[in-house]
Amino acid sequence: MGSMFRSEEVALVQLFLPTAAAYTCVSQLGELGLVEFRDLNASVSAFQRRFVMDVRRCEELEKTFTFLQEEVWRAGLALSPPEGALPAPPPRDLLRIQEETDRLAQELRDVRGNQQTLRAQLHQLQLHEAVLGQGHCPPLVATDTDGSSERTPLLQDPRGPHQDLRVNFVAGAVEPHKAAALERLLWRACRGFLIASFRETEQPLQDPVTGEPATWMTFLISYWGEQIGQKILKITNCFHCHVFPFEEQEEARHAALQQLQQQSHELLEVLGETERFLSQVLGRVQRLLPPWQVQIHKMKAVYLALNQCSVSATHKCLIAEAWCAARDLPALQQALQDSSSEAGVSAVVHRIPCRDMPPTLVRTNRFTASFQGIVDAYGVGRYQEVNPAPYTVVTFPFLFAVMFGDVGHGLLMFLFALAMVLAENRPAVKAAQNEIWRTFFGGRYLLLLMGLFSVYTGFIYNECFSRATVIFRSGWNVSAMVDQSGWSDEFLAQHPLLTLDPNVSGVFRGPYPFGIDPVWSLAVNHLSFLNSFKMKMSVILGVTHMAFGVVLGVFNHLHFRQPYRLLLETLPELVFLLGLFGYLVFLVFYKWLCYTPASAASAPSILIHFINMFLFSQSPTNRPLFTGQELVQSALVVLALAMVPVLLLGTPLFLFRQHRRRSRKRPTGRQLDEDQTGLLDSSNASEAAWGSDEEKVGCPGPEEEAEFVPSEVFMHQAIHTIEFCLGCISNTASYLRLWALSLAHAQLSEVLWAMVMRTGLRMGNKIGVMAVVLVPIFAAFAVLTVAILLVMEGLSAFLHALRLHWVEFQNKFYSGTGYKLSPFSFAVEE
Amino acid sequence: MLEGAELYFNVDHGYLEGLVRGCKAGLLTERDYVNLVQCETLEDLKIHLQTTDYGNFLANQTNPLTVSKIDTEMRKKLCSEFEYFRNHSLEPLSTFFTYMTCSYMIDNVILLMNGALQKKSVKEILVKCHPLGRFTEMEAVNIAETPSDLFNAVLIETPLAPFFQDCMSENILDELNIELLRNKLYKSYLEAFYKFCKNHGDVTAEIMCPILEFEADRRAFIITLNSFGTELSKEDRETLFPTCGKLHPEGLRLLAQAEDFEQMKRVAEHYGVYKPLFEAVGDGSGGKTLEDVFYEHEVQMNVLAFNRQFHYGVFYAYTKLKEQEMRNIVWIAECISQRHRTKINNYIPIL
Repeated sequence: MGSMFRSEEVALVQLFLPTAAAYTCVSQLGELGLVEFRDLNASVSAFQRRFVMDVRRCEELEKTFTFLQEEVWRAGLALSPPEGALPAPPPRDLLRIQEETDRLAQELRDVRGNQQTLRAQLHQLQLHEAVLGQGHCPPLVATDTDGSSERTPLLQDPRGPHQDLRVNFVAGAVEPHKAAALERLLWRACRGFLIASFRETEQPLQDPVTGEPATWMTFLISYWGEQIGQKILKITNCFHCHVFPFEEQEEARHAALQQLQQQSHELLEVLGETERFLSQVLGRVQRLLPPWQVQIHKMKAVYLALNQCSVSATHKCLIAEAWCAARDLPALQQALQDSSSEAGVSAVVHRIPCRDMPPTLVRTNRFTASFQGIVDAYGVGRYQEVNPAPYTVVTFPFLFAVMFGDVGHGLLMFLFALAMVLAENRPAVKAAQNEIWRTFFGGRYLLLLMGLFSVYTGFIYNECFSRATVIFRSGWNVSAMVDQSGWSDEFLAQHPLLTLDPNVSGVFRGPYPFGIDPVWSLAVNHLSFLNSFKMKMSVILGVTHMAFGVVLGVFNHLHFRQPYRLLLETLPELVFLLGLFGYLVFLVFYKWLCYTPASAASAPSILIHFINMFLFSQSPTNRPLFTGQELVQSALVVLALAMVPVLLLGTPLFLFRQHRRRSRKRPTGRQLDEDQTGLLDSSNASEAAWGSDEEKVGCPGPEEEAEFVPSEVFMHQAIHTIEFCLGCISNTASYLRLWALSLAHAQLSEVLWAMVMRTGLRMGNKIGVMAVVLVPIFAAFAVLTVAILLVMEGLSAFLHALRLHWVEFQNKFYSGTGYKLSPFSFAVEE
Repeated sequence: MLEGAELYFNVDHGYLEGLVRGCKAGLLTERDYVNLVQCETLEDLKIHLQTTDYGNFLANQTNPLTVSKIDTEMRKKLCSEFEYFRNHSLEPLSTFFTYMTCSYMIDNVILLMNGALQKKSVKEILVKCHPLGRFTEMEAVNIAETPSDLFNAVLIETPLAPFFQDCMSENILDELNIELLRNKLYKSYLEAFYKFCKNHGDVTAEIMCPILEFEADRRAFIITLNSFGTELSKEDRETLFPTCGKLHPEGLRLLAQAEDFEQMKRVAEHYGVYKPLFEAVGDGSGGKTLEDVFYEHEVQMNVLAFNRQFHYGVFYAYTKLKEQEMRNIVWIAECISQRHRTKINNYIPIL
């Protein structure tokens, strides 16, 4: 947890990898996932890098893998993920894997090709069978052709040139969706010199390529004349029809059919044999492919990482630059030594100074991950900036619970989260792919705390499914009131509402020990009482939360060695915030503590006082809360307003002066400065004993400080000031959402109870009727409670809590302009 | 279509417009071209193309890689995108898509007929056909001997049928007649497309009409240029000019009379749009060809089409830009494979 408060120290390191061991080193680093490589060849395009050939070979292999994988899938088999640790294979293994893969792919291609040709043959045979089968019963066609050929001579000249014309046949098969177009084209092109009959095949045939069953259309065209015949052939060709010889004699057709059947039987046997062999090959692929895929994937990743390194000509080694957490440096060193020991020359790692902002690294565990996620969703923190996540662990569920306060609802949420937490190690839960489920599951600890806190606030509000519970004795005593007020029976009959007066002795025996007194749930002014309470509570929580945010800024200033900002920024901010709104909080507490029921009638309004405070006026009807109040108020307003110019001009003027002083000193101070930095560098360098010529490449050396532009600094500070001062007002108002949402939640659950459960409970007086009626009523109540009050209201309260953290809390100290450390790692992302 | 297309354009075509704009953003940028030009081999080219929106479209190609393979795969990719647009389109956008395919269909029909004339096998020519202009009856065109045959037997069911009204004749289809047929078909196609866009109104008309006007005029210029020194009579030539361009009517009449490039240039000088184009043409060695100049102008118009919203022109413009990009890549690939690097920069940059 200690590392949660700010991101870890991350160092820029230079790795000198001996060429012989570079590959093993990087692959070891990939297994460990310690470092993030920086691209040293950004200006070099992808295909001019050093290891592009190796990458290309890996890609070739992956292409083959894809082919194998698709073949396996097509056969309806699954590839199981590989088991056990599979390190990236040594480069020489690539050749072996490539050879084996190629052999396997070739084998598979051959077998598959064989299978396809066999299937195609079978398909042809079957189509031919179907066509001939159609020819079995062409009485319709035959009579038609006979009829027309008999009739034509009668109309034209008898015994004319048609005498010796014979009716010829073209028979074949075509895909069904083309049949209509083919028929029309035939008719248009040949103008009725033919008769075509189309028929669907009786049983679907296996498609030779995809293997899926499909019906085909067989056709039989009878025509006159040579030219028409050629035209028909051309047309059928262009539609990619299968045309088969068609014997005119029935017997010949019969014989052909039988022969075909025999052939297809033989073919089927051969095909079965081929398929058995194919499944053997596929089984081999199934066993070998998954490990190879992982290995080659790793190998490619290693080469891509190596492509980011620069080459040193003199040292025969590769130079990589990488970000690494300072804590992991020994592990890094160890890993490099281990993996380069074979090569004889050991890989060297050393830190180099750097001017770029290092990436942010916050280590999380499964509990803190979801809270860190909330913060990161707003923006990844600047390097070593105060991390709001550890505070969010408490404040987020708490602010949520303020809006969601209900013992029953909170308990349901807690139990749901608890179930997820207890089942988190089950593989079935882990492997679930449903996106919504994964969202909930990822935030299970968040939900757990949210539920727990809601139970707590529920007790404070004294609400359980909108019903108040009596745990302790109520502080109000009705019988005392009745005894002393002398209410007559008539008075009681006429007045349905009675007032309990706390000033009558014995009626109010003191505050309820914990939370809201249950007696309030019977009162008609329940709502206005709660409103007053929740409104004040939200302002108090809000001002506390914001002030805490401002105070967290202190740690940033201390850490980044900017003490002037403590005085020029944090202090004015605190004074402004606490002087105005802190005073409001004080007034609230003061009024709570100092006014008893006896003096309640003459209690002044805080609101009027607060408005008058800004107007420097006083209203005669509103008595002061304490003596000297006006003086204190005026002093506070003046003090707060006086802080605005300090905040606006302090930092820019200070920086400006500092800059002027430094630039005046520059001519003399420069030499010294450089000497000092040089010394610093060399002391750093001696630690790690680096080479001489690379240091210039690695670190550009301390450059001039970023140019100081006064107008920019002024502008920036002006924006910050305006945002802060206006923000104090609007953010305080923004915290009133706590009141609004908790009110909405309470009212909604109240309405649900009154409209559903209460009507249900009133429906029947007999036990039997009640029992029957209550089942559906309770079901409706339960469903609506979960759907509306838990899920919908929960989401809205979550959203508002999120906003309060992101906007109202974090803008006081958190810039969130960093970027995450994303180490080079082979591990699969969860 | 009623005025105010922006109110309900998105109901029917919003998805596709968004999609096509996304696709347009995937066109190669100047930086990509600079990198492509530096490639040493086609393999380098392939690796570089993999980093762009083309992705690994060449991944399943067996070695060695050739320019024609790249070309075919690129066309396939464009075609699959286009098919996707077309399958998800509603009227009247789908009619618009049909019109867009017509020009490719005309080219394919003519190609096949020429092939039949030269007794080449259909399969050989089919490879060369543009996939966007494919249709089922396409391969049957070689059974026809006269244009009316062609119309009656083969094309009557295709979208090309209406364009045939002007070219029904019983002439034997020889090489010249086929060329005439192509130009006539193209003329009536352009005019019909122009009319469709004009009637559609709205932004579509505002964008598409200038593009089609330019297309028509370009054809007129090219026909004139190609007819110098052939047996085509001037009257015949005039009948081939599409009449929906800016040149219509005076310019076309003058073009019909033109006898050499200089005269043609003089005609163009009357038009503010074409004058700078003709001036940009370099003479003889070096400089740009007229074709390149026209392409550049077309690219410019197509890019500008993306500045307006709620119209169909983006689909047309995207297809044309993609085609230009493919021509560029093929050009660069050819230069690389033939080791002819001096002219490698003559591609037409897409802005």
